[in-house]
Amino acid sequence: MAEVVLENICKTYGNNFHAIDQLNLSVEDGEFLILVGPSGCGKSTALRMIAGLEDVTSGSLRIGGVDVVDMPPKDRDIAMVFQSYALYPHMTVFENIGFSMRLAGKSKAERKKRVDEIAKTLQLTSLLDSKPANLSGGQRQRVAMGRAMVREPAAFLMDEPLSNLDAKLRVQMRAEITSLQKQLGVTTIYVTHDQTEAMTMGDRVAVLKGGVLQQVDTPKRLYESPVNAFVAGFIGSPSMNLFEATLTGDELMSGALAIRLQDAAFVRRPGLRSYAGRKVVFGIRPEDLYDSSLESGRKYQTIPAKVTSIEELGSEQIVHLNIDTVRVDSGDPDAVQDFGLASNAVAKFEPVSTVRSGSEIRLALDDTKLHFFDPETHLAI
Amino acid sequence: MTRQKRSHHKLKRAVAPYLYLSPSLLIIGLLMLLPMVTVIAYSFQNSAVLRRDPSFAGLKHYQAIFDDPVFWASLWHTLYFTCMSVIFHMTIGMAFALMLNSDRINPTLRNILRVLYILPWLFTAVIIAVIWRLLLEPNGVVNSILMQIGIIGSKVEWFSSPQTALHAVTFANIWAGYPLFMVSLLAGLQGIPKDFYEAADIDGAKAYQKLIFITIPQLMPIIISISLLDFIWTMQVFPLIWITTGGGPIYSTEVLSTYTYKLAFSSYNLSQASASAVVILLISLGLTLFYIRYQKAR
Repeated sequence: MAEVVLENICKTYGNNFHAIDQLNLSVEDGEFLILVGPSGCGKSTALRMIAGLEDVTSGSLRIGGVDVVDMPPKDRDIAMVFQSYALYPHMTVFENIGFSMRLAGKSKAERKKRVDEIAKTLQLTSLLDSKPANLSGGQRQRVAMGRAMVREPAAFLMDEPLSNLDAKLRVQMRAEITSLQKQLGVTTIYVTHDQTEAMTMGDRVAVLKGGVLQQVDTPKRLYESPVNAFVAGFIGSPSMNLFEATLTGDELMSGALAIRLQDAAFVRRPGLRSYAGRKVVFGIRPEDLYDSSLESGRKYQTIPAKVTSIEELGSEQIVHLNIDTVRVDSGDPDAVQDFGLASNAVAKFEPVSTVRSGSEIRLALDDTKLHFFDPETHLAI
Repeated sequence: MTRQKRSHHKLKRAVAPYLYLSPSLLIIGLLMLLPMVTVIAYSFQNSAVLRRDPSFAGLKHYQAIFDDPVFWASLWHTLYFTCMSVIFHMTIGMAFALMLNSDRINPTLRNILRVLYILPWLFTAVIIAVIWRLLLEPNGVVNSILMQIGIIGSKVEWFSSPQTALHAVTFANIWAGYPLFMVSLLAGLQGIPKDFYEAADIDGAKAYQKLIFITIPQLMPIIISISLLDFIWTMQVFPLIWITTGGGPIYSTEVLSTYTYKLAFSSYNLSQASASAVVILLISLGLTLFYIRYQKAR
């Protein structure tokens, strides 16, 4: 087990493309850190640099206190689970798991003992003689985990290991990997583009965008206090609604909307006062917007909105809305999918809500849950 | 639907595939099956083709060729020629394919080498035979170079000496045939996921271990298929040997194909030639059945 420390890591490709820019990250011994970000943000590149599969252009990289920048992958004491699992199709499960031991010249008896132990942990004992082609997606995933575990490495590196599984299996494997990591206590760096995986699995989450680290924090703090509009939009599903408004006195004026801010909002964010008379970006998560007809007791402010479409999920309803205000793009390419052409906001309503597509409604909002960002820098206020 | 209509529909469905296959079956029957059956029939006749009413000869012609030491020499030469060709086709093809697939070689150089390495494939057997006759003649380039670097002391008559002729012909055939392996294995190499090698790098595999544990097992289906096909094709090679040595000197490069040809068109013993051809057919058939079984097993 070991600490993994990245200091000022940069990666520039031959065509002068900066894949990673000044990445500083410290993963504690035994920690489960998630690297998350949209496609092309450099998360896989960062992981491959830690593994030694990509050269580091500049910066320092230490695993267990040892500088590994110039070390080949085999000497870094890491194990990696690939997105494709990289299981050798001509080898049985036993041979796949014991491959690194065979390379290291361990005897068959030694290999058998260790592989049997791992197979027992991963419930693969009955499958040891099978070839990967005869396994289900989840079983292959477990074999890939077994192959990583057999070496007892200082750190596990996982590159989107669940992306080839169907949604149901992914939820199950998410829990399995998390509990296995807790059980083994091995430092783990896990790359994903799925923010649900990021939020549910990691001790901490590092959000990357365009090769630049945006924020590293616990899932709860990322959700509650995003440092900028990108993190705010990326974390949470559906994404946070971001709108442009002008702060006039203690009111947010945006199109036909006027949202009055309570004193507490200014107390929590002293910087907000300086935006008086200026433009500001405000955000509210879909789960902090309510159907006003169901929330009369809570005295929330209401704003007019038109329902454009509804997704019934059984336990909740995802309601797409059109509000008379200007939506702000968080910079997350995936977030665009959350909004249809006619809608500029999303809300999560309780299943008892009776709103219908095309109807004009009053939308209740919990103004204590508003987030504020600078319109130029998109940094949190 | 009435019962009659239903059975008519069933019959149509059963017959349709055979109707689609019938043109090709007819052509194969006329061009391949008919000559094959005729040759088999000839091998059991006395004075086949030459006489209008040939008599039944039983296994006489088979007995005759099995008693002929030249037949056994030809069989041995065929096996040597074929085995050496297949082994070296595969070894050279694999070496060049690995080289062309390597990231360490400059891409421009790699493209140039790709064209150069594939050149032998572009020539017909006749051209290859002429090229190697010119190169290996006593006053040719090969002798001159080998003498200059001191490997041989005097001019060697590569195709005219019984000691070297079979090796020289085999060498020419190896040169002509490796590109098939190279191209097939290169395609196979390019299909091996990069992840396999990266996972092996992390597990601490050395270059030769990656070759043994990943590359070769991954290429095995291609290696076996192409080797079997090459074995079948090389066993039947005729023009290269006929033009370079004609089977000589003193039968030293006689292979089954030249032996059969000579029986048929030099000695006009078409019955014995047919018996020899049937032997070649049986060996090829054995290999083909092995190939089909392997393909089915996959």
